[in-house]
Formats: sequence, structure tokens, C-alpha cells
Amino acid sequence: MKTRITSIIMVLLAVFITLGGTTSCKSKKRLAKEAAEAEYKSKVEQARNDLTAILDDETLWTLEEKENRVKTIKDWNLQNAEIDDLISQVEKKLARERAQREEEERRAAEEREKANAADVVLGRNFNSIANAGSTSQANRVINETLGMFESPNVPVLIIISQNPGFNDYDRPTTIEKYLNYLKDQKKATEKVHEIKYNANGKINELELIKK
Amino acid sequence: MKKIIATLAFVMCFAGIALAQDELSFERKQAIDSLALEKVRDLSKYIKIVGSKDTPFSEANRVIDRAEELFMSDAEIGVSSIHSNQITYYRVRKYLEHLMRLNYDRVEIEWYNIEYVSDLQRQPDGTYVGVITIFQTFRGYDAEGNLVYKDTTKKDITVYVRRKETQIGGRTIGFWDVLLGDMRVKETTDR
Amino acid sequence: MWTRFGNIALLIIGLLWASATTAQTIGDFKMDETELYAMTKQMGQFMRRFNYEEDQFGNKLNPKDPKYRNNEMRRQSLPILFDQEKYGTQTELQRYFIEDVTKGDSTFMSFLGGRWYSEVSTTFKYNGTDVSVLLILAVEQEGLGSKWVLTNVYCSEFNKLFPKGELAERERHYLHPMSHELDFMNIYKAFQDPDLIEYYASKDYQPDYLTLFFYEVKQGRLVFQHVDGLKFHVFQIKDWYFEVSWFDRKGLNSGWLMSNVIYMPEKEKTNLIKFYQP
Repeated sequence: MKTRITSIIMVLLAVFITLGGTTSCKSKKRLAKEAAEAEYKSKVEQARNDLTAILDDETLWTLEEKENRVKTIKDWNLQNAEIDDLISQVEKKLARERAQREEEERRAAEEREKANAADVVLGRNFNSIANAGSTSQANRVINETLGMFESPNVPVLIIISQNPGFNDYDRPTTIEKYLNYLKDQKKATEKVHEIKYNANGKINELELIKK
Repeated sequence: MKKIIATLAFVMCFAGIALAQDELSFERKQAIDSLALEKVRDLSKYIKIVGSKDTPFSEANRVIDRAEELFMSDAEIGVSSIHSNQITYYRVRKYLEHLMRLNYDRVEIEWYNIEYVSDLQRQPDGTYVGVITIFQTFRGYDAEGNLVYKDTTKKDITVYVRRKETQIGGRTIGFWDVLLGDMRVKETTDR
Repeated sequence: MWTRFGNIALLIIGLLWASATTAQTIGDFKMDETELYAMTKQMGQFMRRFNYEEDQFGNKLNPKDPKYRNNEMRRQSLPILFDQEKYGTQTELQRYFIEDVTKGDSTFMSFLGGRWYSEVSTTFKYNGTDVSVLLILAVEQEGLGSKWVLTNVYCSEFNKLFPKGELAERERHYLHPMSHELDFMNIYKAFQDPDLIEYYASKDYQPDYLTLFFYEVKQGRLVFQHVDGLKFHVFQIKDWYFEVSWFDRKGLNSGWLMSNVIYMPEKEKTNLIKFYQP
């Protein structure tokens, strides 16, 4: 009895499987087409979202990441007028950002160079004030040095010790007082630690450190 | 209520102690010591410039201004000779002007290499106070180049060190404000 | 022979503090700084040398340095803190003292540790004539730090006001125990002789000289003139009392030095300290 039931079930199963097989073969192409359409739609959607976000500065991506994103979208070759338009807008925007970045880097390099140079000049001047043969010679170097500064009252900070997370300073002074101090004391015991400039390239803050 | 006040007083007491024991590291103390010592060396240099007969009057006056800036406004200089403990008091400016006007043809002022820096103790308002001891020799010569006066003095100089903060370029800068206070000038046995 | 040996020992000890013979030539003069290095230049330096918290050049030692407060170093350096003219370099007392303060549970001096006093000798004008006044001061903690405060004063003029008096004389002056029943009608007798007024006070009465001093100053009768001298009294070290005085002299034993050293068990100190801080 038990065997009979089992064989009926087996036959039924075989019929189902055979029938089912023929129907799926017919809709497979349709499904593939549907999938391709869905994928295209989602890519367009994705591209639109990403490009709009870039245009509206709503991403946290770096410039490089944004450029890579645009490249990926272009590689999709979506052939969608709306997306193509967005791409061209984003490309213009990124080109501007790239140019700005390069300008900033160039300026920073210049600043660094200038700082390095100023660092050397200031160090040299400090020494020649301290070791000047006469008061008038010292005064001449003082005036020359003051020319590098926004005003004689530019603050001068002197680090006396560096601690984890903070520095200990001497009482802040001004560049004019500091240079005269070098003249009177005939010693230059500090070196340049950091220089800050105003828009006109004049020093507006000087940080020194004890040698 | 009483209990709350008592607890508060207790807590405040401990807060006070905690603050009082706010100890500086050995390295930070060392940096402060050298800063204080530098102010004293600066003063020594100014004294030499003011005392020197080669310094023009206007220059000496400018240097007296600088020297005066090293001191608290009410600082005094107490001078005594080897023969008497009695102290004569001068304001910083008067002391330096007196030095400038001394009636010798040539003056030699020198400092021994010894500089002794005390420990810093805090006074009730939290300001650190220390004393730096230095030794000076003074020699005065007449027109013929003869030594007419000489002495060796021990100078004990009060140093006040305060932690202060200021804003510079939008940053808060914590600095040590070092000012010299009273100075005891005591003549000692010539060595 | 002994003196010569003493001098040599002193020289060696002195050189410990000034092992670099630093000579500076200035103009025509050669300045030898050895003696100035050896000199104990500040009371604070006395304490730092006593504890061995600085090296022989006066450079502060890092508390992490094995030499910091090192008892072996202290044993070598402590002799220089004695007035050698009085104590020599090898006296029994000195040896005993050094041994005691450098053993296992060694004692150190501390600025804020209390039980040390400044004795400032001064001159005042009292009713127009110069008088000597000894001011006693102690370090007291306050706020975020500390300060020197007046704890007592000694002035012979004040002592004269309260002579000890002869016992027989003292015993004749009192208010009998039933005076209260007579509305103290006899109390006028206490005020008849101002010199004896304190005989009518309790046997525990001690004149408060500091209050008297403030009163006289406020009245304008006692006017400060000048400081004449300074010394220190130190009770901080377990079972010892010593004085530190200033010695201005040539040689390798000068500055602030122990001038009077007395073995004094702790319980004996209590009464003596009352003298400085009643």
C-alpha cells in the first residue's frame, strides 16, 4: 500500500517538473530584458543622485573620489541626455575645484618657501643685531628687519618649554622691543619656530623658541 | 542645612588643598628657573651698561627704562655695607641713576659665574616666589688709573612668577610672567 | 696637629661642594669662585644641602635621580653645614647628629614642615630711645601658598613690666575668698600699685607680649627703625634642635651654617617651642 502511494507521488512530481520546465524557458528572455532595463534604470538613478550630490556639494568625497566617481559614471556609457548634461556640469565644477586646489598648493609651497627664507633671514638678522659692532649698526639692522613686519607692534611669542599638548611661553613682547632687547643684551638665544603673514606678505605674528 | 554648609566647607577645603598642591613637573620648573635666571642676567647686563662710563647719557637712560621694566612697580633695593647692617632703601630707578652718576673715571663691574636659584614657593595668592643670588665685584678708578674703591656684593633678588593667559591671533597663549621684586644688596668679605 | 688635620678635612669637604676650581679673570683681577660655590648662600640652600636635593654646583637634582636625598651623599656633605670653627669636622656630636639624620628612617627638612622659626633682631624707638626687639616669625600656610607670620616678640622693656617678683611678696597680694560677699569692696587694693597688678591674676596667666607689642605700636610709642640680624631656630628634625646663623668669612665654610646643635628628645621640645609660638 505504502509503495503504491509513493509511486503515484513520484509520477505527479515528474509531470509537474516537465510542465514547469517548458513555461520558464519561454519567459527567460523577457526576464533578462527586464533585469537589464532595471539595471539601466538603477544606474541612471544612481548616476543622477551622485552627480546632483556632487553639484550641490552634498558629498563627503575628496576631489579625487569625486573625479573617480564621474569617470565610473562615464564608463557606464548610459547615453542619457539628462545624465550627459549633469556630467558636463559636474566636470566643469570639478575642473574649477582642481584648478583652485592647485593654486592653493602652489601658494602654500610659496608660503613655505618664503617662511623658510624669512626664517633664515630673521635668524641671520638676530645674530647680527646681537653681535653688532656699534649701536648705529645694530639700529640699521633693526630697521631693516622691521621692514619685514606688518608693524613694530607685531606680537612675538617665545616658547620656553614644550609639554605634551601645550607650550609654556615667556611674556609676549613686540618685534620692536624684541630686536632692541637683542641689541642691549648682545645675545640671540631664540630661533624662529613659526611665522604668520598677512595678505600683503608681511609678517603679522612670530613665534620663537629657546635654542 | 548646617550639614550641607559643613559638607561644602569640607569640599572647598579639599579643593583648596588640591589647588595648593598643583605641582609643576621637574622639567617645567627647570624651564621657569632658567627663564627667571635669564631676567636676572638681563638685569646684570643693564647694570653694566648703565655703570659704564662709555655709555652715552641718552643710551643709559633708555637702558634704565628697560631695566625698570624687569621689576614690579613697587620693588625696592636695600643696600648695606660691610661695616653696618643698616639698610639704605632705593627705588630701582634711583639706584640705577645713582650708579650712572658715580664719580669715577673708569668703573669695572663684573659678575661671578655663580647664580644660585632657590626653590619656588607659592604665596597665598598662588604666585610663585623665588630668590636668585648672584655676586658682583665693583671697582672704581681715578683719572690716573688708580683703584680708589672696590667691593664685592651679594645680591639676593626676589623673582615673582605668575601663570597668565592672553589672546593672540585668536589663540589663547598661556605664559609665565616673570617680574623681579625687592633686591637685597649686601657687601661681603672680599674673596 | 689636630687643627692641621681639621683644616685638611675641612678643605676636602669644602671641595666636595666646589670640586671645580672655577677661576675667572677680569681686567687685572682673578676672581676665584671656589669659596662662593662652597658658601651656603640661602637658607633654602641649607635645606637643599641638608636633604641632598642639589649637586655640588647648586644644580637641582631630579627627584628621580638616585642621588636625590641619597643618605650616602648626605653623610659626606652634612659636615660642611656645621660652623666648623665651633664644631670642627670630627666632633662626637657632629658624627652622632649625621648618623642619626641619615639612618634608615632618615629625617629631611621641609620648608612647609613647620617647627622652624626666624628670629629677626631689630631696633625700635621706644618713647624716643633705641631698644632692641626680637621678632619671632613662622611660615604659615594660607590660600594657595604660605607666608611668614609674627608668632612672638621679645623686648626687655616688656619683660621689665612683668618681673618674676619674690615669692614672699607675691604671696601677700590676693583677694581673699570671701570678697564676693562684700561686693568686692576690697578690689581697689589690686589697683593701688600698678607694678603688682599681675599678682592678682590666675597662676596660669602668661603675659601676651605680641598683643602688648601691637598695642605699643598702635599707640605710636614703639616705632620700627631697622633690622640688625637674622637667625633660624629649627625643631623639625626628630630629637634635635639647632640654630642656623650667617657667617660672612673667607674659606670653604661660610654662609648659613648650624651654629648651635643640641640633642633634644621630642617631649622636651614642647616647652621650648612655646617660647617661639606661645
